[in-house]
Order: sequence, then C-alpha cells, then structure tokens
Amino acid sequence: MLETQRNPNIELFTLSEVVDVQGYVGNFEIEILQHARYTNDDCNGCGSCFEVCPATNPCGFDQGMKPQQAIYLAFSQAVPMRAQIDMDACIKCGNCQNVCELHAVNFDQKDTRFKVKVGGIIMATGWDEYEPEYGYLGYGKFENVITQLSLERMLAPNGPVVGHLHRPSDGKPPESVLFVQCVGSRDINRNVYCSSGVCCMVSIKNAKLVKSHDPSIEVVVAYIDIRAAGKGYEEYYTASRKEGVKFIRSKVGRIREDSRTGNLKVVLEDTLSPDKTIREYEFDMVVLSAAMMPSRTFDKLNEVMNLSKHTSGFLKEFHQRLNTVDTDVPGIVLAGACHGPKAISESIMQAKGAASSIGKLLSNGEYRISLIRAISDETKCARCGMCADACTYHAITISREKGAIVDNILCRGCGLCVSVCPSEAITVRYYRGEQYESQIDAILIDALKEGGSS
Amino acid sequence: MAGTIRAQYPASIRPVRVLCTARVSADMVMRAFNRGADGVIIGG
Repeated sequence: MLETQRNPNIELFTLSEVVDVQGYVGNFEIEILQHARYTNDDCNGCGSCFEVCPATNPCGFDQGMKPQQAIYLAFSQAVPMRAQIDMDACIKCGNCQNVCELHAVNFDQKDTRFKVKVGGIIMATGWDEYEPEYGYLGYGKFENVITQLSLERMLAPNGPVVGHLHRPSDGKPPESVLFVQCVGSRDINRNVYCSSGVCCMVSIKNAKLVKSHDPSIEVVVAYIDIRAAGKGYEEYYTASRKEGVKFIRSKVGRIREDSRTGNLKVVLEDTLSPDKTIREYEFDMVVLSAAMMPSRTFDKLNEVMNLSKHTSGFLKEFHQRLNTVDTDVPGIVLAGACHGPKAISESIMQAKGAASSIGKLLSNGEYRISLIRAISDETKCARCGMCADACTYHAITISREKGAIVDNILCRGCGLCVSVCPSEAITVRYYRGEQYESQIDAILIDALKEGGSS
Repeated sequence: MAGTIRAQYPASIRPVRVLCTARVSADMVMRAFNRGADGVIIGG
C-alpha cells in the first residue's frame, strides 16, 4: 500500500467509493465520492490529538475489543498516515484542533465528488467474515465464543491485548481452546461453498500460535476435512500435529455455557473413533472459523458496475477454467477474494494476471470488436424504447430522428433487444430473424421425415 | 452443455444455436410448435 502511495504513476484515493461508472473499455468515466477526513495533508499521524480526544467508539479494526477515539488512525500501518474523524462519535469539543501544531484539523471539510477517466478497471473489493447469527454455536450469547478475526487481533502484538491471549469473560489466559471449522460454509442452510481451505490454514496457523505462546494450553480443532491444498500446506498441518494441536473430525452438536465459570461445554462426535463417541468436552474458549463472504458493501457498488455474480455471491469470471481473470465485460477484470474465497498467494497471482490483462489491452492502442452487433432499421423503428429498457449493457439510446442507436462497443450482440422489439426493427448482424426461422423450419421438416417427432 | 456433462438425450432433439437465451422470442417458440415440435427447451 505504501509503495502504491509512493509510485508517481499511481493516484490513490482513500476514504472513497465509486458512485457511477459510464463508458466502455478504454474510455470509462468513473464518478468517485471521497468522504471528508477532517484533516488536511499537513497531518503526519503523530497521534497527539488521540490523547486529548474525550469521545470514543468501539474500534472497528480491533473487532470492537478496544475503545477508539473519535479522531483516530484507521490502523497502525494506515496509508496515508493521516488521522481521520468519526463524526458519529465526535462531540466537536475542538481539543484536537487546539493541540495540533500543524493546524491540520478542519471540521468544515466536506465530502467531494469528482470524475476520473480510465481505460480499464480491476475489481479488488475483497471479502468479509461471515457473521454467525445470534446464538448459533453460542455466538453473541456466550462471551467466550469468538470468531477467527477477533482471535487474530488478540494474537497480534499491536492488538488490543498486545498479543497476550485472554478470554473475554474474565480476562484470564485460557487453558483450553477449541477451533470450530466450517462455520457458515459447507452448510446447506448457510453457504454451500468451502472457503477454499483458507479457514483450515488460518486455524492451523492460529492453533500453532496459541501453542507457541503457552505449550500447556490444550488446543483442539473440530473439522470436517482439513483442506491443506497448497505448496507446503500439508507439511504445515503435520507440523502442527507434532506440536500437540489435536484434531477431532466432527461437527459441533451443541455449545452450552457454565454460567459459574464461563467455560463452554461442547458436544462433539468423534467420527474417526471406532465407536463414534459422542462426548461433552469443556473448553475455556471457542473460536469459530467463519466463512469468507463477498464484501458487505459490494452489492451497493454493483448497482453501478452491473457485473454478473455467481450463486455464491462472488463475482463471475469469464470462464471457470480457461479465463478466471477477466469478467464478461471487456476492460473489467478481477483480482482476489471478490472473485471467490482465496488465500493471499492466489490473490497475488490473480492480481498479477489482472494487471497484465489490463496492460495488454491498454498498450495495444486499439480494441477489436466482433461484428455480431445489433443493428436497427430506422424506417421500421417506432421509437418505443423497449429495446433500450431491455438492454443489460446500456448500449441503446433512442433518438427522435434515427430511432434506436446501438453503441457498437457496448453492445455484446446478445439479441435481447431483438426479442422484445414489437416492430421487428432491430436485428443482430449474421443472426437475423429470417435465418432462425428458416433453421427452425428446416429442422422440423427433417425431424418429421425421420419420424422422430409427430 | 449436455455434451460436457455427458447427459443422455433423445436423438430427435435438434439444437438451434442462439447467441444468448435472451434472443429467444415467443415468436420463435411458437413457430417451432406450429411446425410440429413436441416441445422446446430453452437452455443456457
């Protein structure tokens, strides 16, 4: 991120969202809404304002485990290294303004909207952790049931508990931790897909980390299958077993809380044991390995992007095996978890592919389109506008003089306009109505002769 | 698609390739029925 900011050829807009996309490959016009940060470029992120700010909110980056001042740095390696104000929490006392020697705080900053022209778009909207519903496996109901992201922050040296693992209910270091795999994934009632083994590897990593903090902690992973598919992953899994992490192949049946101790009583069926024992185990803490979901804000963005989605909610690629980088819209390509659950290494691989796909497109200087495009006959066109409304690609405009005008670059030649046109004024080149009619007639004559159909 | 998934289907089925299922209009379906087709599958 820092390299991106320093690169003179890259313009970086933070706190920004895309609110409109017009145009086509090579000539996109993007409207960006940049939210006010309430500090100017002079801010160097020194942090003296944080100390005097009396207003707080739960810190989003630390999963709400620590309070955060209304004026804050998004996270410790944030780019740009500039404070921002959360206006929902701010009480406008002006302490930050008074203490700032660089006069960087400005309460009057407004959101700005502006347009940029680009040749191609790389979608990299990422993912969010699945949030289990209240009470599912005790989540939200029992304090010591947390998700993987919260554990991730707890184990981080710069996190809310500076890397010293403790359980939320009483702050004591846990003596036993259970990781529950496939929470919200590989589950027909939630998400059917597997999060590509990412949660398996994250659990193994965190189980190892917990063990390395204190080898006496009992660490158990309840799993369906361990999906350690990747270079060196199986070895990593084996190493964790050697370090004493226990793996029990089971789905969790029920979690109850011992209200006196805050411990969790978990029913597990050990499906690999000869008698498939169902037993109740007691753990100090339970970590839910929740599924990877498409970014929560993505649907709002897709209102202007209009990209096709897979049934899982992730973005659809051009071809599942032969082209997993491009989308079906020329000039828009995919990188990372917006396309499907994937780990860092695969995201980087795809990102490089995306960069090269766009680079190839832009360095060519010209873009060839197929001639299979809709053409309209202005003498037949009644200017009713049904084709323009039906067109998914917004390729048709209606003019009083010329009737339907098809944009040859936006048009993908699908023929939806042809099937809705009441006056047969619009056709697709090489795939005209008469051609289909003759084809249907010819086929059915043959079929009748063969006696296959009656 | 039927080929890729190795699906079995009667020999009397005749495919008409369209660019997109969106191109299939009611007229085309009705024409097929008119000419004696038993059924029309719109698959994509």
